[in-house]
Amino acid sequence: MRNRVVITGWGVISAIGQNPDEFWKNCLGAKTRVERIPEHWFYYGDFHSQILSPLPAIDYSSYGIGRIEEKQLDTTSLIAIACSFQALDSAGLKCTTLDRKRNTYFISSIDKDRTGVFIGTGIGGLSTFASCYSYQVLLRQKEKLVRAIGQLGDHPVQETLKQVHDRMLHPRRFNPFAVAMTMPNACSANVGIKFNLCGSNNSYSAACASGTVAIGYGFKAVRAGELDAALVGGVECLRDDYGAVFTGFDAVRALATDNDNPDKANRPFDKDRTGFLFSEGGGAVLVIESLEHAQKRGARIYGEIIGYSQTCDGFNIMMMEGGGTQITRMLQLAFADAGISAGEIDYINAHGTGTRLNDETETAVIEQVFGKNVLINSTKSLIGHTLGASGAIEALVTALSILHKTTHVCRNLDHPMKDLNFVTKVASYPIRTGLSQSFGFGGHDAVIILREYR
Amino acid sequence: MAQMTQDEVFAKVRRVVAEVFKVEESRISLETKFIDDLKAESLDIITLLMEFEEAFDKTIPDEDAEKLLSVQDAVNYVIALEENTPQV
Repeated sequence: MRNRVVITGWGVISAIGQNPDEFWKNCLGAKTRVERIPEHWFYYGDFHSQILSPLPAIDYSSYGIGRIEEKQLDTTSLIAIACSFQALDSAGLKCTTLDRKRNTYFISSIDKDRTGVFIGTGIGGLSTFASCYSYQVLLRQKEKLVRAIGQLGDHPVQETLKQVHDRMLHPRRFNPFAVAMTMPNACSANVGIKFNLCGSNNSYSAACASGTVAIGYGFKAVRAGELDAALVGGVECLRDDYGAVFTGFDAVRALATDNDNPDKANRPFDKDRTGFLFSEGGGAVLVIESLEHAQKRGARIYGEIIGYSQTCDGFNIMMMEGGGTQITRMLQLAFADAGISAGEIDYINAHGTGTRLNDETETAVIEQVFGKNVLINSTKSLIGHTLGASGAIEALVTALSILHKTTHVCRNLDHPMKDLNFVTKVASYPIRTGLSQSFGFGGHDAVIILREYR
Repeated sequence: MAQMTQDEVFAKVRRVVAEVFKVEESRISLETKFIDDLKAESLDIITLLMEFEEAFDKTIPDEDAEKLLSVQDAVNYVIALEENTPQV
């Protein structure tokens, strides 16, 4: 059995839009959001990169999530639920209250046992773990410090100790939901719980390829007839009080360093690129279902997923294999899976991070496999790198580009590193088939191929 | 700051309990029992404790959860906490 798999709903939370309409409008307007890293981070370290793309404040109450529930869910799960609400709504799948106290819903127009959830995340609930860890480590030491400061009287060192005390940040309480909030599988589990979906439920962790891998596995399950429908996507939240997650990427010089020029610092595929723009996070979720299932319920069809493949460099935990051998093989496998040739691809939503090696390897493979004509852009040139969410957000952009026959520019591409067909203006493009590819730490390479629905 | 009266503590406790258990405040009296009447599960009790801490700006040790079986228990507990807190 091999079903056709179609996209019937979508949702997104990003630095430049908190729903697909706003997001797409801002994509086409080449909007970005870049700020300096929080000033207080400099108490804890020095940074080569000093800019990031912040995740805007999100009103979760607009998704029916109350004050108490919000405290018991990590931001990754909150984003997954918010994106799922949007996606279900745009798919015309009505959510009805199942349990008022638990604040859960059911969807009467689908078979809950044949609807799955596949969500990717690079690091899951790390921000919850970091804040609980700070509490555990610091609380009693701070109490001791307060007593010592009191005993010191007017000693000259008192002011310094007070400063040290004030810079030891932690939440008011150890969150008793810490384990359930930290575990990466909470991202998909909480969506399954919120909407009472009882089919296969998995969170995938393949670093920056997580979102693409999750969509790929959901696609395969629906295509194989194991499920009628699935919520698929990726989420990430990279916040912590001390900038430790940021430092993890900064220490390996992965981040953009043109700090004096924040608006231009993020420039994938440009000769002057210096690294990627760190994003605090975001997410995207798609509703996918078999064509038969979508037609039976009269759903609006936004596009079709026709192929997926995944390979691994088997080479290095952080550095991609410079020859791009496994990326090339990934593409060939995906073409075979979709039953198409490279020549049928009109548009590539590239991984396009803006790091030296990624862009070099990726463009070399693109030129070798597709030649110079295929249209290319990098959504990361707008929103930075949302890690595990990026593949899902970029799949959404690919689907929107196919649907609307236009796409966004490669922002800040003033001096293209290669003579390829990068998108430099928003215009009408004959995009019928497109792909979104992602590469993650660990050597994970994954790609999905989308086509207009006919 | 003056200490809260029993009525004031009850009003605040009732508000917290209603929000945690998603029931109307009018359904909650001093006699309401968390497990028997509101079908509280262990995670609800933990949540209740966290919310009391926030509402009354006090630290409540986890082991004291066992003492809080009803709204009356919670009111008495908070009043005792208030009385043991030096007034500024």
